[in-house]
Amino acid sequence: MGLSLVWYLKEFARTEWIKKFLFAKTAPLMTPSHFRGFPEPTGKTCQHALFCMMACPAPGAIEVVHAGDGWMPRIHKGHCIRCGLCVEACPNGVLKSGRILETMEREGTSLLFSFRIAIDLELCTGCGNCCTACPVNKGIDTQMGAGGHSSNDEVIMRVQKGDIVVIHEDKCTGCKTCEVSCPTGAIRIARILEGYQQPVQEGLQ
Amino acid sequence: MTLLQRIKNKVRSRSIHVAYVDVGSCNGCDIEVLACLAPRYDIEQYGIFVHNNPREADVLLVIGAYTPGWEEKLAMVWEKIPDPKAAVAIGNCPISGCLFDRKGSFVDPPVKKHIPIAAEVPGCPPRPTEILQAILSVRDSVFANWEESHP
Amino acid sequence: MKRTVDVNIPLGPIHPCFKEPARLKCEAKGERIVAAEVELGYMKKGIERIMKGRPWQEVMFLAERVCGICSVIHNMVFIEAMEQISGITVPPRAAYLRVIANELDRMQSHLLANFSYCYTIEHETLGMYLLDLREQVMDELERLTGARVTCAYIIPGGVRCDIPRPDAELLQASLDRIERDLHRYSGMFAEGPMIALRSRGVGILTQEAAHRAHVVGPTARASGIAVDCRVNHPTYRHLGFVPVSRPDCDNFARIMVRFDEVFQSIGLIRKCLTDLPKGVIRGGGVCKAGETRYSGEAPRGELTYFIKSDEFGRIIEIQIQTPSIMNIEACCHEMIIGADSIADVTSTFVSADPCIACTER
Repeated sequence: MGLSLVWYLKEFARTEWIKKFLFAKTAPLMTPSHFRGFPEPTGKTCQHALFCMMACPAPGAIEVVHAGDGWMPRIHKGHCIRCGLCVEACPNGVLKSGRILETMEREGTSLLFSFRIAIDLELCTGCGNCCTACPVNKGIDTQMGAGGHSSNDEVIMRVQKGDIVVIHEDKCTGCKTCEVSCPTGAIRIARILEGYQQPVQEGLQ
Repeated sequence: MTLLQRIKNKVRSRSIHVAYVDVGSCNGCDIEVLACLAPRYDIEQYGIFVHNNPREADVLLVIGAYTPGWEEKLAMVWEKIPDPKAAVAIGNCPISGCLFDRKGSFVDPPVKKHIPIAAEVPGCPPRPTEILQAILSVRDSVFANWEESHP
Repeated sequence: MKRTVDVNIPLGPIHPCFKEPARLKCEAKGERIVAAEVELGYMKKGIERIMKGRPWQEVMFLAERVCGICSVIHNMVFIEAMEQISGITVPPRAAYLRVIANELDRMQSHLLANFSYCYTIEHETLGMYLLDLREQVMDELERLTGARVTCAYIIPGGVRCDIPRPDAELLQASLDRIERDLHRYSGMFAEGPMIALRSRGVGILTQEAAHRAHVVGPTARASGIAVDCRVNHPTYRHLGFVPVSRPDCDNFARIMVRFDEVFQSIGLIRKCLTDLPKGVIRGGGVCKAGETRYSGEAPRGELTYFIKSDEFGRIIEIQIQTPSIMNIEACCHEMIIGADSIADVTSTFVSADPCIACTER
């Protein structure tokens, strides 16, 4: 018992402890600049590419709305999980958060999207809703028939002889309108994300 | 307002007891509340004492998305707390369900429809600085004029 | 003549010492515990059900939020399982950066578990010292990844951002400071007479009982079973990793094993920083179809993911096996029985480091 008393007295008689006891202050309520906070606009114009909405994992966190003459992404704070994927996926650098944009520029990293169309032939009824609903199809062939028939060979997909045929999968923009309009859930779009970095010649440090 | 009521208002806003209840979260926000207790973001210097007893608490911190295991129990805990009281929702989960608000999950967000919430702190998880700012704002807006609004 | 009373003591979901809701029902004769049972179910959200049919960029964030304390290891095990299915190789610089993030997360989790134990045995001073030390570790994690908790640092093919030279030097200086303070605090714990009175010989879990109950993690390593998943990981094998263990099987040994592991993590991070190879940090690669089972070492034990994916990398079936359930069951059926007072029940339960959010996702 006496030994532990001596030990405690020795602990509290150190100059470091006395200095901290008399002069220490708690840290001010500040957030460091490298903290990945809620994304904020940088000032560049939004081109309505919608990659931020496709990359966002949280439901209802980001949406691209009208702002004056153009578009602007809007973040709902109660839903956003501050992951930074929208900042990295935007091809025009419209959002910023923490140090993400500087590291992307210094290291040449980016997130790349590609889209794949998968059709379950057992569920497909050949109704052609997906072909008529697709906005890219409507841009290529404005006179597309009601059953998804088209004579234009540049469309993404069309119905031929009662079956669906996918011609140009690489033109898909991943909006998933066809998935929503399908009555049986036969067509599904996969948004494949890949983390990419340009190969660097000299060392990174 | 009599002198006694003025003293009561001042004392209530300078000494707050906090209890927290976890209605089904990932524990991230729980850990950030504990980090507020650390000597770095010292919460006890404002007179706020974090113990975990609802019977002696003034502020209830609700953390997490409402799971079916807490069906009527959260309302029971809220009734056990004596007046004056306030509830603060910490993190994204009690506000909107965060990532768990999808088809097929068991949660029932938001917590606002089960007990009345006085302040919210968004973020997944929010930083201890943001939690401190929210609790201090509750102190000013709810406790500082309790006597006038509840005769 | 003395009469002892049979009581049922519930340690409820809301308790000053348990951070997470779980109900521990103890049957006691007088104050000696005869039987115990744990009742879970307060945190079931159905995460595995939500994960079905989603691509990796959404499942990764859900997997991180299974447990907020050990979120980096859930991220790492899920991404490494997807890489094993798809045959993606990781560049060596990214592998070392992953180890740095993982070990920083392990340090802060062990410091939190030890703070929890010191708070339960009412030694608040030491608990606050450890929590302050943990804040320095969180600063380093924030500087490396951008967020304190749920960092989302690891993606298939590499990591998200690099560590520039000034940050690496700040990390080295910070590690020296942390190690110096930690020597002092673990010395205080190991030699304090009051702590020894409440921890030595309390909550014994013999080696045969540990084998019977299949415990994992530091709880097993404190009973002499030196099993650790990190010896199967190629990067850790390259760094020369050897698990630590202690032979005495009480509360004191469990806390000291965690302190030893923090020292080991500091050594591993130092080695990674000095040997960091140059190169790219992302190797690219898409996720493909397949089925696998992959294990990693979380701060609480062995974590396993069973994943089955379709040809675009979306999840068909997933099952997560977390370490805490075995430790909690061992605690209730082996360690608490025969404890002499209720105060020992809470401190034993907290020393087994339960993480109820991991147990019921």
